[in-house]
Amino acid sequence: MIRAAGLSKRYGRRPAVVDLAFSVEAGQVCALLGPNGAGKTSTMRMLVGLSTPDTGTAELLGDKVALGAPALHRAGVLIDGPAFVPHLSGLRNLRLLWSAAGHHWPPPALDDALDLAGLGPAIDRRAKSYSMGMKQRLMLAQALMRDPDVLILDEPANGLDPAEVRALREHLTTRAAGGAAVLVSSHQLAEVQQLATHVVVMNHGHLVDAGPLDRLTGAADDAYRIEVDDTAGAANALRPLTGVTTVTAHDDAITVTAPGVPSRDLVQALVTAGVGVTSVNRADRSLEDAFLTMTRGDDDHAAR
Amino acid sequence: MLRVELATQLLRIRTLVALACLAAVPVIAGLATASHAGRHNGTQGGLFGASTLSALNHAMACLMFIGPLLLPLVVALLASAIGSADRDWGTLRYLYVAPVGRRRLLTGKLAAVTIVTTGAVLAVLIGGLLTGIALFGWHPFHILNAPTLTTGQTLTRVTEATGYTLLCMLSIATIAFAFGLLLPRGAEALGASLAFVVIATILNQQSSLHRLAAVLPVHYWQSWTALFSPSGTAPLATGALCQLITIALATTLAFAVLHRRDPAA
Repeated sequence: MIRAAGLSKRYGRRPAVVDLAFSVEAGQVCALLGPNGAGKTSTMRMLVGLSTPDTGTAELLGDKVALGAPALHRAGVLIDGPAFVPHLSGLRNLRLLWSAAGHHWPPPALDDALDLAGLGPAIDRRAKSYSMGMKQRLMLAQALMRDPDVLILDEPANGLDPAEVRALREHLTTRAAGGAAVLVSSHQLAEVQQLATHVVVMNHGHLVDAGPLDRLTGAADDAYRIEVDDTAGAANALRPLTGVTTVTAHDDAITVTAPGVPSRDLVQALVTAGVGVTSVNRADRSLEDAFLTMTRGDDDHAAR
Repeated sequence: MLRVELATQLLRIRTLVALACLAAVPVIAGLATASHAGRHNGTQGGLFGASTLSALNHAMACLMFIGPLLLPLVVALLASAIGSADRDWGTLRYLYVAPVGRRRLLTGKLAAVTIVTTGAVLAVLIGGLLTGIALFGWHPFHILNAPTLTTGQTLTRVTEATGYTLLCMLSIATIAFAFGLLLPRGAEALGASLAFVVIATILNQQSSLHRLAAVLPVHYWQSWTALFSPSGTAPLATGALCQLITIALATTLAFAVLHRRDPAA
């Protein structure tokens, strides 16, 4: 339902997206992940026709996407943050964006969308008086009120409080279960891990990996859970070690991601540092671990 | 799409205030000359000299007074906002994904520009007419040193003058609108439009630069006033052609900008 085939986009001399290919099918919630500048928003812009790819094609619901393409009637979009006519009320703004495309008011899923937005009487206030979170919720309502078959949401949880994030997650999960294809970009990896069924990871405009979330976060050869008697000391001992990309401390254990590093080297480093080791096991990686491992390299400092 | 522009631009307070300001000028001018009601207006000649003789005289005199600068400035303000506001607010991308196509967007915006420009011209005329009726009464149209016009002659000439002025204002409106689409921010578009009017007006007053001024639409904006001279004729064809060419060029530029520019760039 959402398909990028060989998408490339260059702004001046800087390549923003390079030969990107992935697809999101009905029922999937796909998270588009990558560090800042990875090309996520550029990709989303091409997928909704706001930007023309230099090469490749973007498709929605089987149709090639261009500016104002008919397939967009069946898409809900949040991109580059919220934007409203400031002197109109929230509801008037929703009406405006709906009727601009020649639709008759009200849209099919208005009530559900307004419930999720939870703006109450503020829906009749001028949008310029809204807080960042209220604007974001109204924008989400704009995307969801049309009962879309495809949702493309750029950082949808920005500015939302935990309860609102949870409500959004449940709403998107329900929509996907109903047959919609959902593509979200986000930096909130813990949140994404609870929401997404599939993941597309980008870095420097290139596709790093794409596939089911379970595959990316499943037991991996490069991640270990090590029970120790001093988690802080263990973390300090392992972080400087060559090959170690992430170290996460828990109550009585640490999770270490160290591609290509044998577990005995880790244990040796811990023992040398005076840290007692109780056990070493392969660990399921968190999405954060998987993400940082995949996007290491130039971003190594961030991962550490 | 026109409904969107009506809601976002035409019915907003700023637009209504601007139109009210235009309508207020004839009121102020009428009050200033009310002491000459029914008589020649001081020592002035032409339309200004006869402005106190009838409501229509007052309305046309106000159009002549406001036409060279204030009316085009207000029209430019409103038209540049129609071109740029969506981008300034960020709503342009959401209109595109609504989805609204480029052609529909441009058509709606041009319709809005036409409506707001017509509204601005009518605000002056209606303001002048109502003030004139209240202060000077409804009398036949007077032209100094010429016979009073018949009703038919008055209707014809007022219609010609109003239509021609509307065409002139549409030329600056489309220029301002194209600037609104072309330049990054609405304030820049407004500044460029105002600069165009002011510089063109200054050039128009330099006899040594006549050949340059003659290709600018501003040069012909007051040509209609000859309709109310004793001769009763005005060479409006060249001026109208210049306005039409300007409108066509500005609209083409607007379409080219909208069509070629990547909205996300």
